[in-house]
Amino acid sequence: MIEAVPPPSARMSTLNWARKNFFATWYDAVFSIILAVLIIMGLNALIGWAFLDAIWSVENKDQCTYDAGACWAVIESRGRLILFGLYPYEEQWRSTIACLVVISTIALSCLPVFWSIRRIPILWIAGFTIFVLLMRGGFAGMPLVSSDQWGGLSLTIFIFAGVFVIGMPLAVLFALARRSNLPVIAKSFGFFIDIVRSLPLLTILFAAAVIVPLLLPEAIQGNKLMRVVIAFAIFFAAYQAEIIRAGLQSTPKGQEEAAVALGMPYWSLISDILLPQAFRNTLPSTINQAVITFKETSIVTIIGFFEVMASGNAAIGNGEWGNQYVEVYVFLALIYFIFVFGLSRYGAWLETRMRLGHA
Amino acid sequence: MIKKIKSLAFAAAVTLSGITGAQAEGQGLLDTIIERGSLNCTGHNGSYLGFAEVDANGAWQGFDIEFCKALATAILGTPDKANIVPISWAQRFPAIQSGDIDVIIKVTGWTMTRDTELGLQYSRPYFIGPFYVMSKTELEAKSVKDLEGGVFCVNAGTTIERVLTDYMETNGISYEPLSFEKGEELRAAFYAGRCDAIAGFGPFLSATRVNAPNPDDFEILGDVLKLEPEGIVVRQGEDDLLDVVNWMVSALLMAEENGITQANVDEMKANPPSASIGRLLGATPGVGSRLGLQDDWAYNVIKTVGNYGEIYSRTIGEGSRYKLPRGLNNLWSNGGLLYPLVLD
Repeated sequence: MIEAVPPPSARMSTLNWARKNFFATWYDAVFSIILAVLIIMGLNALIGWAFLDAIWSVENKDQCTYDAGACWAVIESRGRLILFGLYPYEEQWRSTIACLVVISTIALSCLPVFWSIRRIPILWIAGFTIFVLLMRGGFAGMPLVSSDQWGGLSLTIFIFAGVFVIGMPLAVLFALARRSNLPVIAKSFGFFIDIVRSLPLLTILFAAAVIVPLLLPEAIQGNKLMRVVIAFAIFFAAYQAEIIRAGLQSTPKGQEEAAVALGMPYWSLISDILLPQAFRNTLPSTINQAVITFKETSIVTIIGFFEVMASGNAAIGNGEWGNQYVEVYVFLALIYFIFVFGLSRYGAWLETRMRLGHA
Repeated sequence: MIKKIKSLAFAAAVTLSGITGAQAEGQGLLDTIIERGSLNCTGHNGSYLGFAEVDANGAWQGFDIEFCKALATAILGTPDKANIVPISWAQRFPAIQSGDIDVIIKVTGWTMTRDTELGLQYSRPYFIGPFYVMSKTELEAKSVKDLEGGVFCVNAGTTIERVLTDYMETNGISYEPLSFEKGEELRAAFYAGRCDAIAGFGPFLSATRVNAPNPDDFEILGDVLKLEPEGIVVRQGEDDLLDVVNWMVSALLMAEENGITQANVDEMKANPPSASIGRLLGATPGVGSRLGLQDDWAYNVIKTVGNYGEIYSRTIGEGSRYKLPRGLNNLWSNGGLLYPLVLD
């Protein structure tokens, strides 16, 4: 009889793991070593540049030479310009609070407690009203700041949130209209969506900002920021509508027929059966679209808005800090990264959660 | 793509300028500005070296901004009434047609297309934009000819490429062009020694030199590749406003010619050394009413922003970081191209 041998331990020692994955053959070993050296050299250079040799304060600005590390003094000196744009200096606390209000509105609407047809709109209308009141002022001793002067990060967030909030209901509407049983509605909305999608975003925004005032009388023009957000929202909605339509088409036809056979009213069919499944099935593409939209907000700089990217350019576009563009772009990249990474992590969390609910 | 949109917007703007023109009929833009109590000028969507920059507090400054303040002071008595609207290059002409802005003061060259086809009117040039070549000091070049066969770096997609080609062809100088997409890349390449010389707009070259690891390594050559006269732009048909713009520029130049500065303008007004200075500063009435302004408008302007030379020095000249020489933007009496009109 042969004695039973215990199975090999599932947990490998670190050494074994490394041997198996990096040093299995002689050429594996060579590549691994070369790569490791390159990575260490890169990290070393990066850490040296960004931290060890960096110049942190404006007093040491004269040390910001070409051989030195990162000159973070530019952020100390111009950081508020990057974050707030042309917003009046003394009033920037308002912009900060307004920004936090919108961020917390976004955060709150991620909580399942608020996921109902009534609560979400109330939350958003409240958040938006507070934002606009704070930014605009003109009451309670806060001087009026017109939307021309809004800028920096809060403008970027405002545009993104505005586009999402106006665009999402529009997208649902477009998607449903395109699937309508009435050929006139279905055809005309299909045509409209295709037209909007075949125009570059820049053209649409430029037209909204510059051409519309030439066509419409002043009374119904609205202000420039409003026009741009609405135009952007329509553009977003045209894309998002197609994503939602894909979701609607992915639900088995039988469910819809069963609901109709049971005599469910149309809105109940849409909001209780089709839309929840459509949103769940298209969540990855929706998050994708949101991320793209967030990054595309920087296009509004071409029509003279000081969103965070334009403010960054304003920060380096002078003789004093003209050489510190790398530092400013890194800073901007970090800001974008925080938001976009946050968005995609949230998307991943939602997917897990929904899968649990689905099971 | 931007170019396409630009031309699309131009077309629309020009077709529609008839409509807005009709709306404005009955009241000139100058009266509208006085009634509204603010003047809408062009800023930039970012900072434009020396001409329109945003400081750390988010306030505008620069050569063009000073002219906007001067114009606001002339019309409304105080520079605080100047409302600087951030505007991109592509946006400035449609924006003036739609009435978003009243004047374009944005280093805008006087070209025939813009003057005739876009429904615009130019003031007399307030700045002569020179294109220069800057080379490495170690090459000891005295003129562009000495750089024969060298590598010239330029910004891609701007007029400078064409300007340089024209100049080199006309003068029969061979060279090797190297273009860069962004100003920052161009500078980095120049500092790193990839180019023997760079060609560009004067203020840009000055800023590049000032920010170099060692500014003495580089020098701007005296040859002017090309001149671009920059004017202040108003909508076609706003003659009253254009008159004010022209005389405002002229007053700044006349002040410099006669040694009137921000510091001594009160004294000059109290005891004008000549009859025409007395007229300019409003000691003798008449200079205002003919333009539809207060008689002390020119006094206010000089008191607020100084004379032309002071503005220049403060924003792009000796007193600033850029240290751009006056060159052609000097008064005629100092070898430049600028001169005041006759105040009679």
